[in-house]
Amino acid sequence: MIAIMIREFRTYFQTPVGYVFMGLFLLVAGFFFTFGNLMNNSSYYTSFLGNILFLYLFAVPLLTMRLLSEERRQRTDQLLLTSPITVVDIVLGKFFAAMLVFLVTLLVTVLYAVVVGIFGDLAVWQTVGGYIGFALLGSSFIALGILVSAVSENQVSAAFFTFFALLFIWFLNLVKTVAPTDPTASTIFAAALVLGLAGFFFANTKSWIASGAVVLLGAAAIVVLHLLHPPFFNGLIPDVLDWFSLLDRYDGFTLGLLKLQEVVFYLSFTSIFLFVTIRMVEKRRWA
Amino acid sequence: MIEVRNLTKRYGPHVAVDDISFQVTKGEVVGFLGPNGAGKSTTMNILTGYLSATVGDVYVDGTNILEEPEAVKRRMGYLPESPPIYGEMTVREYLRFVCRIKKVPKREVKDRIEQGLHRVGIAEVYNRLVGNLSKGYRQRVGLAQALMGNPDILVLDEPTAGLDPKQIIEIRDLIRSLGADYTVILSSHILPEVSEICPRVMIINDGRIVADGDPATLAGDLFDASQVVITAVADEAKARDAVSGLRGISRIEILPAGESGTTEMLIESEKDRDLRRDIFAAFSAKQVPLIGLRVKNATLEEIFLELTSGVKEADVTEVDT
Repeated sequence: MIAIMIREFRTYFQTPVGYVFMGLFLLVAGFFFTFGNLMNNSSYYTSFLGNILFLYLFAVPLLTMRLLSEERRQRTDQLLLTSPITVVDIVLGKFFAAMLVFLVTLLVTVLYAVVVGIFGDLAVWQTVGGYIGFALLGSSFIALGILVSAVSENQVSAAFFTFFALLFIWFLNLVKTVAPTDPTASTIFAAALVLGLAGFFFANTKSWIASGAVVLLGAAAIVVLHLLHPPFFNGLIPDVLDWFSLLDRYDGFTLGLLKLQEVVFYLSFTSIFLFVTIRMVEKRRWA
Repeated sequence: MIEVRNLTKRYGPHVAVDDISFQVTKGEVVGFLGPNGAGKSTTMNILTGYLSATVGDVYVDGTNILEEPEAVKRRMGYLPESPPIYGEMTVREYLRFVCRIKKVPKREVKDRIEQGLHRVGIAEVYNRLVGNLSKGYRQRVGLAQALMGNPDILVLDEPTAGLDPKQIIEIRDLIRSLGADYTVILSSHILPEVSEICPRVMIINDGRIVADGDPATLAGDLFDASQVVITAVADEAKARDAVSGLRGISRIEILPAGESGTTEMLIESEKDRDLRRDIFAAFSAKQVPLIGLRVKNATLEEIFLELTSGVKEADVTEVDT
């Protein structure tokens, strides 16, 4: 894992990608810091971090697009997969390499906080919380990017699809506010989820019985919930979307609140994406 | 040492490898021979653990590659069809990286690289970027990569593909020298190459092994001395007349003559009957000078074409009916 990580980290700086990432990130961050904090004489540093969140949309695809798609295109995955290391080593090595580049870049912006601290009142714990949240959010996004890279044929499409996946997460927040909350819409939504799950089962097992059982169980669950606990269906759609809302959870950190559940949420999101990536790479060998 | 049992690989409805079984003993140098798309690369990818078989198992000294992949992979060095190199690294960086993922103990890395460099002859490009090297050097770097983990088994997929004639000869010599220290499995679609390097050849076609043996036996099994080509200083009628008295001839065919005033003739006898002495005696009795007499030996090329095209035709008829 360490070997993969080191190689990947060096590759970022043997190709333009690492420099473009750092340059882009720090240029835009510097811009926002200058105009938001310096020119406004504002010492409210966490707002700066909140303002540059959108940078992820462009920065994460840059960081992750190459990681697995290029191995396959260049056929170097044949070396990795026939060596006495595991797919877990490969995927984690790449993840940590991307995280390292990201964290080093983020570390540079700590200078801004120091500047604020010297010339104004820096809310230290809010800032620390903001950074931790920022990094955790970044790790979720990077894990998502690696997953997309694992299923993409080349780095351009990987970047493209990562960008849209992130954009989707951004829009999730908007969708949540306008999503219908009445029980009818919720029931339809629940039914769609059940059908989706059944479809997933069928795609994986090719068994009509298993997927049929999922549909029946799901339908039964919906009926039972309607009879026993109708309030369940009030606002179901926003509730479910809430689970996937990575951005919302960031707000707590900027207030200096370091809640265990939010940390666990981000870490589990990261782990799930990485786990699915590992499965995808392994599955390809059986294809 | 290597045992492959009932290996089958399907890609959807397409069968790339169809129920292949074979064994390779320690120290053997085995060549997979087959046209492009015959299933050679797929078989090698399964052997090395890059792909998983749909059905069947690969054992190395009794260890199943799926059950203990790391143990088996440690013992193999693999050079895939296109060398798995990172263009942005120098040869040195690349080989160091390979050593690390092949779990070479830190103390030995330097020696291992040193030996590998000299063995494959790339010491002079040690500090250059792999991406800037010529195809021949890249192939050598790929070969050095396969040697890094100090394996027992080398699997080389089309090691000479895309090289110029001089490089081909160099790589062949290199592989031959490696054959002394390693168990080697290599693949090629070029006949002379396999028959030259490998004491044992497996001909693969349409995912099946259609022949397995040493090149000479393969040639001998399929053809015998029953076909003799002679060159006589005489016209056609005279030559035919000379052999007319011989018994056991099943067919005579006049071949286009090379020299003027001579006749070249193919004489086919009944199976397992060597007529060469009788033919000589017959011509000598008629006082017709016989200036050439040879057994029409099947080259591996002919066996290859016969086997591979034969199977193809059989398949076509299957589809038709």
